[in-house]
Amino acid sequence: MSAEQDILQELAGRDYEFGFETQIEMEIAPPGLNEEIIRFISAKKQEPEWLLEWRLKGFQLFQKLKMPEWQNFKLPEVDFQSVSYYAAPKNKVKYNSLDEVDPELLRTFEKLGIPLEEQKMLSGVAVDAVFDSISVATTFKAQLHELGIIFCSFGEAVQEHPELVKKYLGTVVPQSDNIYAALNSAVFSDGSFVYIPKGVRCPMELSTYFRINARNTGQFERTLIIADEGSYVSYLEGCTAPMRDENQLHAAVVELIALDNAEIKYSTVQNWYPGDKDGKGGIYNFVTKRGICKGKNSKISWTQVETGSAITWKYPGVILQGDNSIGEFYSVAVTANKQVADTGTKMVHIGKNTKSRIISKGISAGHGHNTYRGLVKVGPNAANARNFTQCDSLLIGDRCGAHTFPYIESKNNSAMVEHEATTSKIGEDQVFYLNQRGIDNEQAVNMIVNGYAKEVLNQLPMEFAVEAQKLLSITLEGSVG
Amino acid sequence: MTTIVNNISFLEQIDQAQLPGERRIALERFHQLGGFPTVKTEDWKYTNVIPFLRNGISIDLPAAPAVTAAQLEATGLLLPDTYRLVLLNGVFQPQLSELPPASQVTVRKMSEATEEAAFKQYFNKSKRLDEYHFALLNTALFNDGIFIETKAKAQVEHPIHIIHLYHNTHNLLVQPRHLWVVQENASLHIIESAAGLNLGDTVFVNSVVEAVTAQRAQLSHYQVQTGGSQTRNINQTLVQQHGKSLYNNYTFTLSEADLVRNNLNVSLDDERTETHLYGFYIASGTQLIDNHTSIDHRMPNCESNELYRGVLMDKATGVFNGKIYVHEDAQKTNAFQQNNNLVISPEANIYTKPQLEIFADDVKCSHGTTIGQVSEDALFYLKARGIGDAQARSMLVKAFAFDITAQVKIPAVRKQVEQIATRYLAATVNN
Repeated sequence: MSAEQDILQELAGRDYEFGFETQIEMEIAPPGLNEEIIRFISAKKQEPEWLLEWRLKGFQLFQKLKMPEWQNFKLPEVDFQSVSYYAAPKNKVKYNSLDEVDPELLRTFEKLGIPLEEQKMLSGVAVDAVFDSISVATTFKAQLHELGIIFCSFGEAVQEHPELVKKYLGTVVPQSDNIYAALNSAVFSDGSFVYIPKGVRCPMELSTYFRINARNTGQFERTLIIADEGSYVSYLEGCTAPMRDENQLHAAVVELIALDNAEIKYSTVQNWYPGDKDGKGGIYNFVTKRGICKGKNSKISWTQVETGSAITWKYPGVILQGDNSIGEFYSVAVTANKQVADTGTKMVHIGKNTKSRIISKGISAGHGHNTYRGLVKVGPNAANARNFTQCDSLLIGDRCGAHTFPYIESKNNSAMVEHEATTSKIGEDQVFYLNQRGIDNEQAVNMIVNGYAKEVLNQLPMEFAVEAQKLLSITLEGSVG
Repeated sequence: MTTIVNNISFLEQIDQAQLPGERRIALERFHQLGGFPTVKTEDWKYTNVIPFLRNGISIDLPAAPAVTAAQLEATGLLLPDTYRLVLLNGVFQPQLSELPPASQVTVRKMSEATEEAAFKQYFNKSKRLDEYHFALLNTALFNDGIFIETKAKAQVEHPIHIIHLYHNTHNLLVQPRHLWVVQENASLHIIESAAGLNLGDTVFVNSVVEAVTAQRAQLSHYQVQTGGSQTRNINQTLVQQHGKSLYNNYTFTLSEADLVRNNLNVSLDDERTETHLYGFYIASGTQLIDNHTSIDHRMPNCESNELYRGVLMDKATGVFNGKIYVHEDAQKTNAFQQNNNLVISPEANIYTKPQLEIFADDVKCSHGTTIGQVSEDALFYLKARGIGDAQARSMLVKAFAFDITAQVKIPAVRKQVEQIATRYLAATVNN
């Protein structure tokens, strides 16, 4: 028992390895949310008139919409007026090569282990680095350009490919979807934009690294990925933030659009600062992510490993509109200390022969609370829809919680929907078995947790799988069941 | 609340200030919750009761007709080897009843039981009672019901069969209220069934059962929900289990009622209790059958087990919501839950939401839910053996359904339930 206590304490006391702050000259807008600031952001980014109007419409909706009350945690009061909605590294000009980027910034990304530098080209990942919601550098642009792939910051896309942005922006996550989506559409500062042309298989993983650096800022980025007919893309997202006492808001919107026969794979390793062991500080991660399988035979797959944030609140979903389309959701969410995760997915079956698969693994330790909330909806025309859902929870410590709220709605009699969920702690017999073979408690738990999460981790691209596994180990170092 | 709740006429006529103590508090609380639940209320998301209450419904009971033994016989509900309690619109009818021996069981009208010690101890004390809109309304306005208390150590030989009869001359809201207490080491079976007598208009039944199992007591509770299309049922069953007690609930919804909503809440208040909940529902026509169960594991070492199955036909809607709460100190809890739905017609809807909320770590909890059809493979297997399509289907549906009835320990009840179920299934599956 005492060993368990020690380990739990150790786990509680673990440091947040990415908690440094970069001293860099920043241009920060005064805190406050009003029409003026929206016009300011829009002007800063030299946006066309239609986008400004779109933002202002989002702001109007934001004022009308109410805070939700259905979530399974106490929603902290967020003072939207005390947040600064624009922070950018100063003197931002268009960089043509990485040599021109502020060396301090580069060092930050180096610390984070992000392969921005050219010599790391061999690692084969194209990166768009977003620093306080401003895209600072995008690598591998030229190679991607040859294939006709557009991978750039959102701001650039607005300038260079306005027709694509205009056509798809807000079509999956409407501005009125929820209050944070409305806020994002009013004040989003930047983000990533991806367009994969017809029949192209993107030869490398595309990746964005998000970093909140400045104090008192919220990060509101917007990602839009369009996979045209017959194309394929795998996209990674990673995030970190410095340690701070106050909470910071991250309210992003991600929209994925897959046309006929296209496939999008979206992976997230989320490691925002989770707050200290008393739950002080940390990021509120309130994100709206949704994809639409617009065309037939299309596929969208979400994979997420959530280890950070004080509160994680998101439901990456897929609208299965095209016939024979497939939606997948793989998730590992870890909550330690006083972290809270209320996450899950929505699978909306509209087209015929649509399939969805949900695998959710929650791990709660300390005073952490982990909620799976999911919706599987089969519409009246979704003949032969098929869903399989598995959501398991693992509990470590007697003051944590695991909750499941799966909503299943079927309006079609040819639908097959299965849902299963289990909750348990790490079996003493399992630990004992490993002990017998000379593996100590810490490692045993590690192995069991990794084995438990394997089904999800296997979905991650190589580079991320390693990182995710490490993150899991750090988060749960040695918890004995 | 200033908004007069939901515009339901009979509610507006009630003078809240005139109600005595507990009834007034309950009505106040009902108004605090916003009156009748709407689809915006999470627990009533798929079940809209408001239209059922907007037909000039009244709570004034009509003059009770004399019910004859022949009328009772004609309901086809009578069971052999049981004690029988007949209630008309919630009021006990001693002339039609056959009481258990008074040495073992006390049976009273609720209105005459107020001086009983057990009544004082347990009436209106059920946990979560003040979360249920309809239970609060019942507390405020109930007319009568039946109080049953077993003596300690009483092993009651036969089951008590409660037959609820309803009669009306206008659209009526009946609110029976019952309290059953099984004292220490006693064991009791209670069977409930229902029928309408010459129903001219609709009858909306909002019933509340409070049941208590004392230390080491055992209660098996069978709800055979029958009745014609003019009935609407909101049933609330609130059970408090003390240490080492056992509670079994069997809910069979085999009625033609347009609306059936069952709220079953079992609170495990002490260690080493055991709870089994079995449910089976057939929904046809435009019926809406809604089962909400919740099990509160408050103490360590308890076990609960839940299995609900439903067959959905025509344009019917089925709703299932199973909550399992494991409170912070309820270590070593085992809780299992399963809900299977067989959807036969293309226009039937099913909404299911198994829900686990767990605050303790040394637990084993699982739930499972399926929605599906008759398996084509199984169908083919039977057809290959010369069994016609309709018969094969009917066999498979029955096999699905009778897994639940097989749990019934009283042969006569099982037989009756299977007969009624077969009749319903035959009417729809075969055409």
